[in-house]
Amino acid sequence: MSKSNAKPDRFRELKLSLQVFFSNKSAVAGLIIFLFYFFDALILQFFPQILPFKHPYQLTPNYANPIPQPPSFKHPFGTTYPGVDLLNAIIKSIRLDFWLSLEIVIPGAIIGLVVGIIATYFGGWIDEVLMRVTDIVFSIPYLVLAIAIGYVLGRTLQSMMIALILVWWPLYARYARSVTLETKELTFIEAARAAGTSNLKIMFKHILPNSLPPVFVQISLDLGTIMLTISALAFIGFLPAANLPELGYLTSLGYNYIQTAPWAMIIPGLFIVLFALAVNLMGDGFRDVIDPRRRSEL
Amino acid sequence: MLLFIPTLLGLTVIVFVLIHIGGTNKLLAMYLSPRLTGAARQQIIAELDQKFHFNDPIYIQYFYWLAQIFQGNWGITNTPIFSGPVTQAIELFFPNTLMLTIFAAILIWLISIPLGVHTAVNRDKPSDNVIRVGSLTFYAMPWYLIGIILIIIFAVWLKILPINGTVNPSLVADLSWYHNGISYPTHILLIDALIHGNLVVAGNAFLHLIMPSVTLALGVMAALVRLMRGTMLETLDQDFVNFARAKGVPEKVVINLHAKNNALLPVITNFGYLVAGLLGGVVVIEDVFSYPGIGMWLTDAMINNDMGGIMGGTLLFGIILVVTSLALDLIYAKIDPRIRY
Amino acid sequence: MESDQLKSNLAPIVKVENFHLHYYTRRGVYKALNGVNLEIRKGEVLGIAGESGCGKSTLGRAIMGLIPRNAAVVDGRILINGRDYLKPLKDYYKNTKKFKPSKNADVLKKVNNEMSKIRGQEISMVFQEPMTTLNPLLQVGYQIAEVLLYHSPGLLASRRLSRSRAKKEDTKALVKILNENGPNEKFREYLKEKNIMGLEDQILAIWRRKDLHDLKKEQMIEKLCCEPINSFAKNYLETIEKENKLPNFSKIPIFGRIVKRELIKEGYKKASEFLGLLGIPNSDKMVYMYPHELSGGQRQRIVIATAMINSPQLVILDEPTSALDVTIQAQILELIKELKESINSSYMFISHDLSVLAEVSDRIAIMYAGQVVEVGNKDAIFDQPKHPYTQMLMEAIPTIEAHELKGIKGEVPDMRNPPKGCMFRDRCPYAMPICAEKRPDLIKVGEDHYVSCFLYEGGKS
Repeated sequence: MSKSNAKPDRFRELKLSLQVFFSNKSAVAGLIIFLFYFFDALILQFFPQILPFKHPYQLTPNYANPIPQPPSFKHPFGTTYPGVDLLNAIIKSIRLDFWLSLEIVIPGAIIGLVVGIIATYFGGWIDEVLMRVTDIVFSIPYLVLAIAIGYVLGRTLQSMMIALILVWWPLYARYARSVTLETKELTFIEAARAAGTSNLKIMFKHILPNSLPPVFVQISLDLGTIMLTISALAFIGFLPAANLPELGYLTSLGYNYIQTAPWAMIIPGLFIVLFALAVNLMGDGFRDVIDPRRRSEL
Repeated sequence: MLLFIPTLLGLTVIVFVLIHIGGTNKLLAMYLSPRLTGAARQQIIAELDQKFHFNDPIYIQYFYWLAQIFQGNWGITNTPIFSGPVTQAIELFFPNTLMLTIFAAILIWLISIPLGVHTAVNRDKPSDNVIRVGSLTFYAMPWYLIGIILIIIFAVWLKILPINGTVNPSLVADLSWYHNGISYPTHILLIDALIHGNLVVAGNAFLHLIMPSVTLALGVMAALVRLMRGTMLETLDQDFVNFARAKGVPEKVVINLHAKNNALLPVITNFGYLVAGLLGGVVVIEDVFSYPGIGMWLTDAMINNDMGGIMGGTLLFGIILVVTSLALDLIYAKIDPRIRY
Repeated sequence: MESDQLKSNLAPIVKVENFHLHYYTRRGVYKALNGVNLEIRKGEVLGIAGESGCGKSTLGRAIMGLIPRNAAVVDGRILINGRDYLKPLKDYYKNTKKFKPSKNADVLKKVNNEMSKIRGQEISMVFQEPMTTLNPLLQVGYQIAEVLLYHSPGLLASRRLSRSRAKKEDTKALVKILNENGPNEKFREYLKEKNIMGLEDQILAIWRRKDLHDLKKEQMIEKLCCEPINSFAKNYLETIEKENKLPNFSKIPIFGRIVKRELIKEGYKKASEFLGLLGIPNSDKMVYMYPHELSGGQRQRIVIATAMINSPQLVILDEPTSALDVTIQAQILELIKELKESINSSYMFISHDLSVLAEVSDRIAIMYAGQVVEVGNKDAIFDQPKHPYTQMLMEAIPTIEAHELKGIKGEVPDMRNPPKGCMFRDRCPYAMPICAEKRPDLIKVGEDHYVSCFLYEGGKS
């Protein structure tokens, strides 16, 4: 095809992509929910003064009335131990969980991508060694490894982040490897190599952009998994005496009142599920967009 | 396939590195009872130095440490639920965890593979949509939330299932084969009760197993159904499936023999991840249901900053996962004639 | 209307009438087949030629009923021995406001169930890509045996039972008959008399082998007797022999498995005999191999054997040689020619390669953009191509003699919005105003030679 044709073609492809994505109603719903979380996190992170919170980055306990109260006009979601208003707490928690998930997934993805691409592109023993390393990291269940790393680094929010990045990158390395293995065989890469383009340039100019879309999908799916992992760690007590607005920690606060005040656990739990669900639906939608076969199917 | 040996060694390296980041004191914490003081303490430290060669270079120390691990000297753990040698803790807690995971694994395998096949074959039908939404919801749920919802429904509202532990304490109060929450000889209460012919206790132990194993199963099932559905859809488009149809093979056989077995292959390769998820789930679920297994011991160790428990648990979970992957490789080779070891 | 025009002395097995098939995709509706008219007669080889994307493979698969869920049967019918199996799909399309693949899939399931009775039995198909056509997890013998298991379980049961019924003196007597007279009436009478008809093809398969010494053959035939059999399985096998129908195995605990295993084992034997007949060396070992242990050519032979083992009336060969090396291609073509001699089936040979078609076909149909534009005897098509497209195709075939090779200018029309009139109009040097208005029908231009072009309308040729 001639060059003049290329542009409208790309435009048409983009239009089709949007069409495919928006024809998937559940993916759109996922996107909308995701945007809610995103704006919540954005506002609290950068413009906390808009909201009437005295301590936007802390839970505000009320020891005068620590027993969980059912939802009421004053506390639409009720309260949890020790007298924390759930609506406020959830709004604050979303900020922390959202950024934390991003801060884990993005570095994990970048490290993994670089390692994966290097491994496939050079192949041979480099590939073998790097894959063996990911194998070894994979050989410990990630929750357990995070606990062990957390013990070594001290159980804080930062160490949780570092632990999860250390746990997560091999996943992306594997994933990037399988994607780049396919890309590597594509004819235009061969052509670039035949034309004498340098290795580095081929890797980052040709292979990387082609591996990005599937990795992007994986990132969107993983945001949910990370959120679930963070909350599970917080729930089993990874963060000692945290007083942090974090959804998993928030659920654990209500654990002792499970018989009398089920909402104290279920409502914050629901917001974890909602987020994980949203990013999964959204990710599935993205996957439809980049998968040529699903793309053309009805 | 012999790759599992370097993986196992790598696993020990990771654990060793984690132990040593904190310096020699951390290692000592793993092998030294905190109750010792004074001269006795100094003497034990000297003995440990004999074994671990604290003054040698770190890579030499690794081999001394590895030798100790091979001899079953995994250090000591000191948590409210157990204090003593790590290996002894494992001996006590591991059988319970094994029971729980086997129960869950059976549920998972029996339910999710047929469901995955069903949804793929009946794509976009109401049943597919319901199962898809259901599995996605469970997939998006943290393990403990599934457990808590089950507790609220079956223990708090319906009051038909017990909340925590392995047995109702009043039932085992004066049994000769049950002391301090530990049953003999297998340490699995359900099996021990059956051995001793005590059906009441066995039944009660079984009731206590239901909720944790169902919780564990639900979380993994959600992922497995999705995986199976995807690979099944892909397989159903393949030439050999169409060729089987072209031969006049009944559709049922096409699906259950030709498509399903091929669709299972990528599922088995991905099963390692699922098992890793399952083992992670064990940690959380045992904590939620106060079920005395490795997971509960590990969380207890974490909260109490108990080095022996954390590192011992990590090593054990790693070994379990490596051995399961090995088993999966063998199963894969059994199914796929293209792979021969 | 067209069916009258296509009248011929030979009765058709498959008759395609004004068949339309559209694929529904997100990018639009691909009109893959737009009124195909065609018939396949008994005992002939019909070649189907055309560029890629002209719908020739789609047509082959549609005849088999192997239609994806997003394909709508918009109009027309395909009659197989007079029966239109795809009618429910057309009815669904006609009666629905909005085409839904999932609803179509429901109907398709029923169609599949109906057609599975004739697939492999009356019609069968060989796919293009031998590397992906065989199930990688099953031994090739099983994959061949399966066809027999579901269509002729009676044959398998009878083969097995005959071996247990036959006595030593029977096989000895049979060898004697064969040595004296060959496989004649007397041979068959003896088999019938002793109720061991199932031995016939087993004995003949050995008898016809060329790689063995006569004495060795006699020994092997004499061994086909006195095989003990589980008495319970025997009862079931006898019912299967009588009714030629499989029982519901899941309803027979334990013994169901034994019976099924006996049948499959027998299927392996028959498969190995059949492969031997096709001249495949080491066929007795090959049936226990897995597809990955075989080369592309060997796999394609297995696929062809699977398609042929039940002597179907029609075999659709969808580019059976295109994915193979040239030398292997020649061998496979040779095999197909031999089969044509020995088994009285019809063949529909789909290929983009006219030189291959010239070698094997009796008649040739040329397809363009989802329609048959010309159909006639091989010689007529090659010597007097009528349709401008056919003429251009002929000029594009490379030959040894020097002649100017001409490509065909332009591209196939976008099948989402095919032009209103003749599909070939834009590329046709003889395009006339009428070509833009309506589509030409197939008209007779010679003995059994039909073309759809306005150039020949009104008797001029």
